[in-house]
Amino acid sequence: MAATAQPTADDVRARLAAVDDPELDESIVDLEYVHDLTIDGSEVLVTLVLPTAWCSPAFAWMMATGARDELEALPTVTTATITLDDHMHATEINRGVNERLAFETVFEDAEDDIEAVRRTLAEKARVSRQYRAVDALLDAGLDADQVVALTRADVDFEDETDEALVYLADDAFAVCVPADPLADHLEKAAETGLVREPTDRLFATVEADPIAADDLAHEQRRARLTGATISGQGTICEGLDRARKLKRD
Amino acid sequence: MYRHEGADVFVIDAHVHHWDASTENIIHEGGEQFIQCFHDYHTAFTPAERQWSIDEYRKYSAERMVEDLFRDGHDDMAVFQPTYLGEFYENGFNTIEDNAGLAETYEGRFVLNGRFDPREGEAGLEELERQKDEHDITGVKLYTAEWRGDSKGWRLDSEDSFEYLEKCAELGITNIHAHKGPTIRPLNRDAFDVRDVDDAATSFPELNFIVEHVGFPRFDDFAHIATQETNVYGGLAVVAPMALARPRKFGEIMGELLYWVGEDNLLFGSDYALWEPEWVVEAVMEAELTEDQRDEYGLEFDLETKQKVMGENAAELYDIDIEEQKKKLADDAISAEFDLGDQYGGATAD
Repeated sequence: MAATAQPTADDVRARLAAVDDPELDESIVDLEYVHDLTIDGSEVLVTLVLPTAWCSPAFAWMMATGARDELEALPTVTTATITLDDHMHATEINRGVNERLAFETVFEDAEDDIEAVRRTLAEKARVSRQYRAVDALLDAGLDADQVVALTRADVDFEDETDEALVYLADDAFAVCVPADPLADHLEKAAETGLVREPTDRLFATVEADPIAADDLAHEQRRARLTGATISGQGTICEGLDRARKLKRD
Repeated sequence: MYRHEGADVFVIDAHVHHWDASTENIIHEGGEQFIQCFHDYHTAFTPAERQWSIDEYRKYSAERMVEDLFRDGHDDMAVFQPTYLGEFYENGFNTIEDNAGLAETYEGRFVLNGRFDPREGEAGLEELERQKDEHDITGVKLYTAEWRGDSKGWRLDSEDSFEYLEKCAELGITNIHAHKGPTIRPLNRDAFDVRDVDDAATSFPELNFIVEHVGFPRFDDFAHIATQETNVYGGLAVVAPMALARPRKFGEIMGELLYWVGEDNLLFGSDYALWEPEWVVEAVMEAELTEDQRDEYGLEFDLETKQKVMGENAAELYDIDIEEQKKKLADDAISAEFDLGDQYGGATAD
């Protein structure tokens, strides 16, 4: 391997930024879980510290494997070693993640498989993001009938602007809407399999069913509650994280 | 008694502990991590000048507790919620027997709750009867994520648990406080899953189920269940201190709670000694929804609502006649010791 084949710290951080805390729907870099980062040739060592030693092993596992996979997707990285520090199950998780074992092998008493947990959390994140996207559309003047009927093909993201065009009335006209909430929603809607084809509806109930126009207000309240749960938990975790950092410093 | 906008607010602190996490009592590293985690919660939300050191926090005297709750903390009464954690602590973290002494010394100030663990089988049922006989408990605190041998938790809707809930109904132990909240090793959909409350609440309409910490991090699941079941309540311990540290977030959560769960089904709890009630009570009483939040939720967190949440709802569950209680408290040992009689005297003077 040539001497230049070494990842830069920026490459590594950009990759890690793509890993979310699955419960809080926020990047582990923004949440400051990355405590240590060493690049040694084509090997990368990352130390993660979560807000509490009691943080769910399933969530910790998802973040650690996510970080490993993101980093090893870089052509310049041969091995990414992830060390979870100061956690109730650090030993099991570090061994499992770095030896590429299955979660169920390491935690035999886990009730559900980790993919089911991941889906549940992704679904919650999708609903919470949908709340903001629908809110932006209602703010832009769309009515409930229009919102629930929108499909993927009705949204066009304009290059180099922070707005999207939403086509209405069989493309007779378009409305300008802030792009971010729609793009954020689409990202999770794709991940959860809700929106795959251009003809797929953009929005669905918490149970992933189509929304009737009359129910949109109620669905928005349910989605708002999910958002309040994620951000409320985020507030708790952020507080714990800060308290823990004070102790470590 | 707390005074707010010229009105009396009778405070029943529905969630307090007298714990022992001293190093001598810890027998498993989980015990140390447990108290460290509690202390992180404490540090995260307590104003700097009111923070306890970890050593103070591990174990505090009964005198300090009584002062913190009743002399300084605006509590008129407090509900003991025992937390055994026998796998972590030699003599338990906080047992009913630890609490009973204080409850006897300061009669009328404390509500003494018991506990059960359905994994204890027949012996556990007998222990529940003993708690009823000896302490006349009307409520229990349940820790569904408590470790026991190889087991890392149990479900409220299990067959074994139902046997215990039947026993509770039979004995008149009507208030079932389930700790459903902040993590203690949740393995995926785990012992802090709140959905097991749903089936239990439907099956035992004669019992009240108080979901502590309003189910965080499954607050949304809890709210859905509480909307459907009138015998499901939310305990505000852990949410309440946000009123000071994160007022906007607190307003949002209260807005959601009042919208879905309703003002009659929420109970204030300081979670002492996680936090001292003094500043928590003050912060909650001063809290208001923002104009945005009032519009969003179509409701207010007003004085009448606060009076319910701070005490009246708990009084209803524990069959406490607040006016009668004020008369009793006016000349009890605490009022005498801390010269608090006047505030209760007002109830009978006019």
